[in-house]
Amino acid sequence: MTTKTSLLKVILLGDGGVGKSSIMNRYVTNKFDAHLFHTIGVEFLNKELEVDGHQVTLQIWDTAGQERFRSLRTPFYRGSDCCLLTFSVDDSQSFLNLGNWKKEFIYYADVKEPEKFPFVVLGNKLDVTERQVSSEEAQQWCQENGDYPYYETSAKDATNVAVAFEEAVRRVLAMDERTDHLIPTDTVKLHRKPRSAGACCS
Amino acid sequence: MSAWLSAVCGGITHRDHAQVLFEHEGVFIHPGSEDQGLEPDLLVSGSLRIIDKDAEIMVDYRPLEDSVDPTNMLCAGKDSSSVVEWAQSSGERSAQLLETQQSYETEWDMINAVTFRKRVCANGEGSLQQQQQPVQERSRWAFSFGLGDLRSVAVKEEGWTFIIFRLKESSSVLPPLHFHQGGSTEFLDSLRRFAMLTESADDVSCLMVSTPNKALSQSFENLLDDNNFGLVHKFKKDPYVTTLGGFSKVTNYIFDAFRGTEEQHQRPPEEVADLLGEVIPGLEINQQEEPGFEVITRIDLGTRPQVIRGSPVSVEDWTKQQDQEGRMTNVPELKHAIFKGGLCHAVRKEAWKFLLGYFPWESTTEERKALQRAKTDEYFRMKLQWKSVSEEQERRNSRLRDYRSLIEKDVNRTDRTNRFYEGLDNPGLVLLHDILMTYCMFDFDLGYVQGMSDLLSPILYVMENEVDAFWCFVSFMDQMHQNFEEQMQGMKTQLIQLSTLLRLLDLAFWNYLEAQDSGYLYFCFRWLLIRFKRELSFQDVLRLWEVMWTELPCQNFHLLVCCAILDSEKQKIMEENYGFNEILKHINELSMKLNVEEILQKSEGICLQIRNCKDLPQSISAILGLDSAVSSPGLADPGSGPALRTAHRPDPCSNGLFRETSSNNKVAFIS
Ligand SMILES: Nc1nc2c(ncn2[C@@H]2O[C@H](COP(=O)(O)OP(=O)(O)O)[C@@H](O)[C@H]2O)c(=O)[nH]1
Ligand SMILES: [Mg+2]
Repeated sequence: MTTKTSLLKVILLGDGGVGKSSIMNRYVTNKFDAHLFHTIGVEFLNKELEVDGHQVTLQIWDTAGQERFRSLRTPFYRGSDCCLLTFSVDDSQSFLNLGNWKKEFIYYADVKEPEKFPFVVLGNKLDVTERQVSSEEAQQWCQENGDYPYYETSAKDATNVAVAFEEAVRRVLAMDERTDHLIPTDTVKLHRKPRSAGACCS
Repeated sequence: MSAWLSAVCGGITHRDHAQVLFEHEGVFIHPGSEDQGLEPDLLVSGSLRIIDKDAEIMVDYRPLEDSVDPTNMLCAGKDSSSVVEWAQSSGERSAQLLETQQSYETEWDMINAVTFRKRVCANGEGSLQQQQQPVQERSRWAFSFGLGDLRSVAVKEEGWTFIIFRLKESSSVLPPLHFHQGGSTEFLDSLRRFAMLTESADDVSCLMVSTPNKALSQSFENLLDDNNFGLVHKFKKDPYVTTLGGFSKVTNYIFDAFRGTEEQHQRPPEEVADLLGEVIPGLEINQQEEPGFEVITRIDLGTRPQVIRGSPVSVEDWTKQQDQEGRMTNVPELKHAIFKGGLCHAVRKEAWKFLLGYFPWESTTEERKALQRAKTDEYFRMKLQWKSVSEEQERRNSRLRDYRSLIEKDVNRTDRTNRFYEGLDNPGLVLLHDILMTYCMFDFDLGYVQGMSDLLSPILYVMENEVDAFWCFVSFMDQMHQNFEEQMQGMKTQLIQLSTLLRLLDLAFWNYLEAQDSGYLYFCFRWLLIRFKRELSFQDVLRLWEVMWTELPCQNFHLLVCCAILDSEKQKIMEENYGFNEILKHINELSMKLNVEEILQKSEGICLQIRNCKDLPQSISAILGLDSAVSSPGLADPGSGPALRTAHRPDPCSNGLFRETSSNNKVAFIS
């Protein structure tokens, strides 16, 4: 009867104003608040979901993007299972900065094998008509940087938001299944995301 | 002698590496209830502690008098009137299964600690002899044991909660501890941090204890050498461990790891915390002042005085304080009235200029007009500077470009539900933007930093005038400047000061936060950066700010406001056993749920409480500026209302709805 729930930490990174907070709120509360304040400090929301038979609690972290706050933002990168690199399709600068965000994340999250870390790229504000970044450009960047999944989202009209988070979860679960096999079974089980062995317990 | 026993015998007498993780006073033993011919209502009052001694977790109970140390290392000298004096005549009583033992060192415990000897208990003789210690009668009730030797804790109710410890390897029973003054939940919660407590199958009131024995009995170094131990790899891989000052965090981690599946993700918050600790240097939580017991700085603050808040200063009150030429008179009294009750909205436009220092209190109306003329010129000169930058120039000026882009984004995300800033083409938005851009010209090094739009918005709302709002904002920014600078030194200093204050006010809560890796109070970041702007309703922010700008009743009053809010939340936080993440979330979600008058009342009470304390540590006096401060009028008397007001009159406030149509410099009630 006891189904174990995995807790996954995902973090939204990207320039200020690309819509990170709006995406998080859309996903967790299914609302879009046009009056939302800009983020000060660090916030997170939890969301329960089921992906491919796995019960998951997503802990979604959202931070303030300004350079000045970097030192008080980066400590929270630690322990992330997935990073959602976000830009806005109507802001080419935010797209150009993706690489910097990725670097900052890898450095401060202290990721051991950056090539294998699950990033997901979001191009937000799909509903806006004046695009500055084309789908092709974005797709290409994702391919060249590590074959990351790419989603064009709109926090405003909810397009692709849930899909993107679900894909993030899948990536993490897939990663964990690989590494789980590497841990000898007789050692103390220290893995911090112990999963119920799928179907047998649920 | 086992490692366990030596730890107990060495006891808590060596102060190095010992750290009090939990402490609760007012825990009683009822010696008489053991049917030993004692007076039935005889009570022994003492304090129960959980101590980290060289990475071994000890539970320690000692009667009140025992905690008083003649060397004054411990300032726990509390009112002992609640303790019924021990009857010297009752020499017969035998503390069941207790063994009194001479303590070897006496620096900390001058007493004869009663300990439980594994060896003896294991004999199964059922009863232990007891040495007669007539001089230190009360001490016979002191006991202390390693958590690893605890088998179970029975939790019972009898109108109050009492608990019974049962040790392993012995059938012995320690005297029940009665929590007449609450605290049993907190104690058990603290215990849970170091051991797993599971309800016994046949008795739900009995909690079975399991601890990671191996981790407990081994030193950190041993752990590293023990290749069979699953944690080793992680430790070795992780360089941050080597920077740890004490063992407590390591042991916490081990415990968390052992708690295993239920407690997920213990490690990331702790890593986050360690990194934050590096960012906020100077807050060496485990090394503050002397090593050893943190309880040494405990000070009895006495009760918190009740405070009555006043009503807001009205237009009439304000104008009465102006002389013929328009100079403000009785300024200390006026400030005190504003501190006690704030301002009616109609007075704000005028009064804020004085409070913020844009207008000197002693200036005449004429002088102020001249000042405004000069300041208007100066403002537009700076405004023209950014207005006249061509697109070409801006392309080559990345800093200006970045400031502008961020300001544009943030203006669209500041107080948009306020009628002054709502809708698409509200002139309020343009003013907010222009003032922030002009501020970049005024202080290009600082430029625009997120949070500044929050500080400006209420000022502009009150001033309804671009130039006045700008200069008032400049004054406010003078106070807040350090928060926004590159190194955010202001933020770091404030967090450290706040931690120092909280430690004095509420050691138990402070210890709790520390144990949850939250001792540097990162979760107060937003409160401090923008002075509660996001935590309170817009109208309440206006009230709080004008009160703070009086600079009464002490320096850094806003830190006591933090303490007041935390004081209201600590019960919830501790009862729910919130960890690092939950604390952050809980505090973030307080936003818009707070009541400004309640908070101000409590904050002032805290200030009075601290002020009344005789042996205030120097660090505290320095933070609150209590050293040099000549007591302001009426401050010693919390109940005294401001002299300004007449007793009963209707609230003259227009409750925030006052609005002038024109935006000239003239204030309606000055004619
Ligand atoms: N049209 C449109 N606007 C959006 C969308 N997502 C966010 N916004 C707006 O973009 C601005 C910045 O959003 P915010 O969530 O604060 O960005 P953050 O700084 O990345 O957290 C806000 O004014 C939002 O209302 C979107 O999908 N479409
Ligand atoms: Mg945001």
